[in-house]
Amino acid sequence: MNNDTILNIDSIRKSFVRNIVNVRGKDEDERFFLLEDIDLLVSKGKVTALIGGNGTGKTTLFNIISGFFNADEGKISFMSYGKHVELTGINAYKIARLGIGRMFQDNHIFQNMSVLENMLIADDKFFGERPFESILFYKINNTIEKQRKEKAEKIFAELFGDNNPFLKMKNEKAKNLSYGQQRLLGLARLLMGDYKLLLLDEPTSGVNPLVVEKIKELIKYFVEQKELTIFLIEHNMNFVLDVADFCHFMSKGIIAMGGTPEDIIGNPEVRKAYLGI
Amino acid sequence: MINIYIILTTSTNLLVGMTNLLSLGQAALYGIGAYLAVLALMALHLSLLPTLIFVILGTSLLSLLVAYPSLRLRGDYFVLATLGFQLIVFTILYNWVSVTKGPYGIPGIPSLVLFGDIIISGIIPYLILSSIFAIGVIIIFYKLIHSPFGRALKAVRDDELSAQAIGRNVTALKIWAFVVSSGFIGISGLLYASYVSYIDPTSFNLDEAIFILSAVIIGGTGNIKGPIVGAVFVVVLPELLRFVGLPDSVAANLRQIIYGLMIIILMRLRPQGLAGEYALK
Repeated sequence: MNNDTILNIDSIRKSFVRNIVNVRGKDEDERFFLLEDIDLLVSKGKVTALIGGNGTGKTTLFNIISGFFNADEGKISFMSYGKHVELTGINAYKIARLGIGRMFQDNHIFQNMSVLENMLIADDKFFGERPFESILFYKINNTIEKQRKEKAEKIFAELFGDNNPFLKMKNEKAKNLSYGQQRLLGLARLLMGDYKLLLLDEPTSGVNPLVVEKIKELIKYFVEQKELTIFLIEHNMNFVLDVADFCHFMSKGIIAMGGTPEDIIGNPEVRKAYLGI
Repeated sequence: MINIYIILTTSTNLLVGMTNLLSLGQAALYGIGAYLAVLALMALHLSLLPTLIFVILGTSLLSLLVAYPSLRLRGDYFVLATLGFQLIVFTILYNWVSVTKGPYGIPGIPSLVLFGDIIISGIIPYLILSSIFAIGVIIIFYKLIHSPFGRALKAVRDDELSAQAIGRNVTALKIWAFVVSSGFIGISGLLYASYVSYIDPTSFNLDEAIFILSAVIIGGTGNIKGPIVGAVFVVVLPELLRFVGLPDSVAANLRQIIYGLMIIILMRLRPQGLAGEYALK
């Protein structure tokens, strides 16, 4: 792992059990490897895309990186604040604190909390979140809360300009936002944490072309202004061509191919296996 | 009694409304609080403040015993674990005759001693004391709900996965919620024991646990006024029925029917309860 690599995925294997009907017509549990052997490097300060058919295990790989699943074999190391950290077997919340932010495919914002609260809760300072901390040290707590609010409003203003819907609706429940707006809120929320690497699971799924353009803009802003590294799963090939520096094609449990987005998407095998053209 | 129930429902709201943890073990904790209070008052002869601290800490610590293993379970399994806790505690209180006097109960619980020789006895001083406690608890929970801690609990309630993805320790937050809520429930046990001056295990059985939960659900969860409305409602309703002039045997049954109907109707028409904010799903 050299200095340009932020995430090193080394021979990850993950199996699941599926229930099948065997040749004798009886139910049988069969273990199969969804991820056969995944090797992948994510370069620091770049956008790396992961493409592949449905059910090939892209999201599973993300879940292993963020600690929601344990891999059967293999290891993942992450460059966290200048130190190499082994991610295998660490709890999901600890991995987030090491500097890996995650956005889920279906938004997963806090629906019953206000737009502003959605931002505040994602702050990288945890002060006041133990039961009586905020009452006992109310002065420190008030200062930190004020800083949090300013930080959140500044992020909204920077990302979406003054007078944007998020600032206007900051005290409304997040479920009142449209789906596309919720997606953007999910992206903005990532800036509240002190992350180095963002894992984005299909950022453009289910949103309209205008929001897709906005997400493109945000990703460029994240990489160029905030010096973040982005690792994303995507099915929208034009989007990948526009934002990604590197692209990996996943198929049958391995990374079948890696290179520039143009090479991969232009490759006849990928086109045949995945795009069907 | 209203004040006792306000403390019970307000504390339970931290679990049910803020963290979406349905606990059937609240009456057990209430009972633990009451029996610990008796221990402090009758065996150790403590005055009010040390008793209070003793009860809060004792109930919190005992709740940790159930919180730690059961909060690793999800949803329905957590409810079952708290149900188990409720039944175990009741059985212990009922059968450990040498300590709790079992079904005979403990009579003659002394009045609370504020400090020196100021003894709180009689209805009015007691009402004042319990009101102070209830208001104190309401203020503390108001602060807690609107603190970063309350926000983190709401995040856990809304989406555990996301809460973990932004670096929040979901299990630790749930344990905190459970322990804090239990500590305050202990206070209502203390108030109850000294108010009625006689306790026996049947005051803290499963019916009582369901009753507390019903009060919270009827009143509504997720904010501060919901549980208060719920407590007032369940305590005042029997008095109202008595006022209407129904014979006791009818009134008691009618009350149960009204609670049941209220919950069904509210679930259908107003899942956030009479004055709550969060709709239970």
